[in-house]
Amino acid sequence: MSLLEIKNAKLNLDDKNILKDLSFSVNRGEVHAIMGPNGSGKSTLSYMLAGRDGYELESGDIYLDGQSLSEMEADERARSGLFLAFQYPVELPGVGGMSFLREAVNSRRKFLGEDELDHLAFVKEARKVASKMSVKDDMLKRAVNVGFSGGEKKRFEILQMAMLKPKVSILDETDSGLDVDALKIVSDGVNAQRNDDNAIVVITHYQRLLDYIVPDFVHILSDGRIIKSGGPELALEVEKNGYAGLINAA
Amino acid sequence: MLHNIKGNYITSVKDHVRQYNEKSFRKLASNNFKSWPNPREETWRLSRLGVLSRKEITPIIPDYKKNFSSFSKFNGSKIIRFVDGALREDLSSNLPPGLSLNILGEEDSLRCFHKFKDSNLKDHPSTNVSFSCTPSIVKLTIEKDVKIRDFFEIIYEGGDDNLSVHPALHIELKDNSSITIIERFNHLSSLIMPLQLVELKKNASMNSLKIFNDSQQSYNLSANCTFLSEKSNYNSFSLIKGGLFTRSETHAYLKGKNCNLNLNGVYLSSKNQHHDLTTAIYHDVPKCTSKQIVRGVLGGESTGVFQGKVRVAPDAQKTDGQQMSRAILLSENATANAKPELEIYADDVICAHGATVGEIDDEQLFYIKSRGVSEKKAKLILITAFLKDIINDTVEESIQNFVFEEAEQALSEIISKEI
Ligand SMILES: Nc1ncnc2c1ncn2[C@@H]1O[C@H](COP(=O)(O)OP(=O)(O)OP(=O)(O)O)[C@@H](O)[C@H]1O
Ligand SMILES: [Mg+2]
Repeated sequence: MSLLEIKNAKLNLDDKNILKDLSFSVNRGEVHAIMGPNGSGKSTLSYMLAGRDGYELESGDIYLDGQSLSEMEADERARSGLFLAFQYPVELPGVGGMSFLREAVNSRRKFLGEDELDHLAFVKEARKVASKMSVKDDMLKRAVNVGFSGGEKKRFEILQMAMLKPKVSILDETDSGLDVDALKIVSDGVNAQRNDDNAIVVITHYQRLLDYIVPDFVHILSDGRIIKSGGPELALEVEKNGYAGLINAA
Repeated sequence: MLHNIKGNYITSVKDHVRQYNEKSFRKLASNNFKSWPNPREETWRLSRLGVLSRKEITPIIPDYKKNFSSFSKFNGSKIIRFVDGALREDLSSNLPPGLSLNILGEEDSLRCFHKFKDSNLKDHPSTNVSFSCTPSIVKLTIEKDVKIRDFFEIIYEGGDDNLSVHPALHIELKDNSSITIIERFNHLSSLIMPLQLVELKKNASMNSLKIFNDSQQSYNLSANCTFLSEKSNYNSFSLIKGGLFTRSETHAYLKGKNCNLNLNGVYLSSKNQHHDLTTAIYHDVPKCTSKQIVRGVLGGESTGVFQGKVRVAPDAQKTDGQQMSRAILLSENATANAKPELEIYADDVICAHGATVGEIDDEQLFYIKSRGVSEKKAKLILITAFLKDIINDTVEESIQNFVFEEAEQALSEIISKEI
């Protein structure tokens, strides 16, 4: 059984049809890349999966580890093991990074029937993960994403992913805004979490990221449809020739 | 029935009130409070007292034997206790040197009365009623150069259904003195009409925290008149959470150069509560600063009102006046009103104001939920941050946690009802 399965997903925003009969599935241990022109519906897809209000499916269904997500709220989906690294992480003035992380981690642990971490154990764990991601302790003390640079925000997203240990992670343009060194650090952070039981969907415009996080499959999304799927070579083709040829052929 | 109230000076203040403004006194006090500010009056348009006029309310006769033992919330703080609106020295702490508590005689009471009558609180119902109904005006004096490090808690309690209480306090800080005072209003009365006159002399500094937490049926119409002399500093924060109807009205007169005023507050309202923070700041001299930050969280069918008037006199050049109010509505049936009012007659001034009323930000809520945190908890996190922000920015550091805990209680109550 696939870990994530999207079946004939159709979604409208303000009466405009954005996702049109979209299907694909991701198995355990796999990395899938989704590429596509601006406005093709990549972030819409990620919001739809994460369960943002207003992004409910018109028809079709999605399954996480065999369980339908359609009727679940965003928080329930996350506790079940779905994670979205935002293209534009949201600033939370007044909400401290450490307590935010702790709240998130304990919600997931509780769901899994594990004991909640006490403050000390949690701080220790968070610091360990943070240092792996080259996130300074100081950043955890600050309000979530407030005043973070573009690259720091992306690193903080992957730090959250590492703490939450999701089954399926969707990374929406996590590479944008990262300098060369940070790209390597973040990619290493993501790769360190890959195992046979989880799966990752990376949304990106650039082959560069896929050099580090090597995908098993690449899907080209155009105008709300997957117009072509293939192996890593498909990303190289896009890098070389752009989308025009692929879109025309579809 | 007002004649039942004892104390000679009160009779004479009352006589004086009659002469001074017979019409309004008769309208309000001697008519069993039957007549209240008309809703057409601008400052009462958003906070109407109609329901009160249909109630039979009588001024309480303080019971000096009533015992209260509610403890200090603040470890080690000194307590001054008012029961039924009357000072209870027997239930209060001993005062440190440099601090004194007195019951004012006739002459000083009249002086207080005139301070109010000469201010723009002259027509406030509590001004009109409490001067004649208070058992006594109590004065707290902080002597010159005395800096009080202990916290002072003033607890107002007592009262009963269909009775009104009328505590009246005059606080004077002499030159170079300083103090932090926490006042808690915990009455069981139908009507509470506190009066407070604060006089800050040169270079004096006061932190004032008022927590309004009267019973569910109470009307609290608190009237505060504050005078600031040169280089003095008044930092006040009102936390309004209790009562059916609570209005904290403060008029501050900046009378000496280089003084600094903060009139901040938070209201947390649920059910059918009506909470009102009304302020008027009078910049009469140059080079003073005033700042007001007000935040509200409303659920149920509650109403919040912030009215802030800033008047800058022609001479008050180099004034810096800031005002900002924000309210978050958690229910469709809650209402928040903000009415800033700037009257600026000087040209070299910086005055800014802004007001927003809104719901919880969707994007922030989704972001938190997408990390597995329930909607309820996510909302609590966001609103907590909204309040922490203002408390950390405006409240004296040593009492920030205390204020926050007091707010948190009311907050979780509001939120648990909304979701
Ligand atoms: N509320 C909305 N109502 C109508 N159309 C919308 C709404 N929100 C987004 N869209 C449209 O949906 C389409 C898909 O947007 P989406 O953000 O998913 O694109 P994307 O593939 O992530 O683009 P990018 O590469 O620029 O991040 C765009 O044409 C966008 O304008
Ligand atoms: Mg996008």
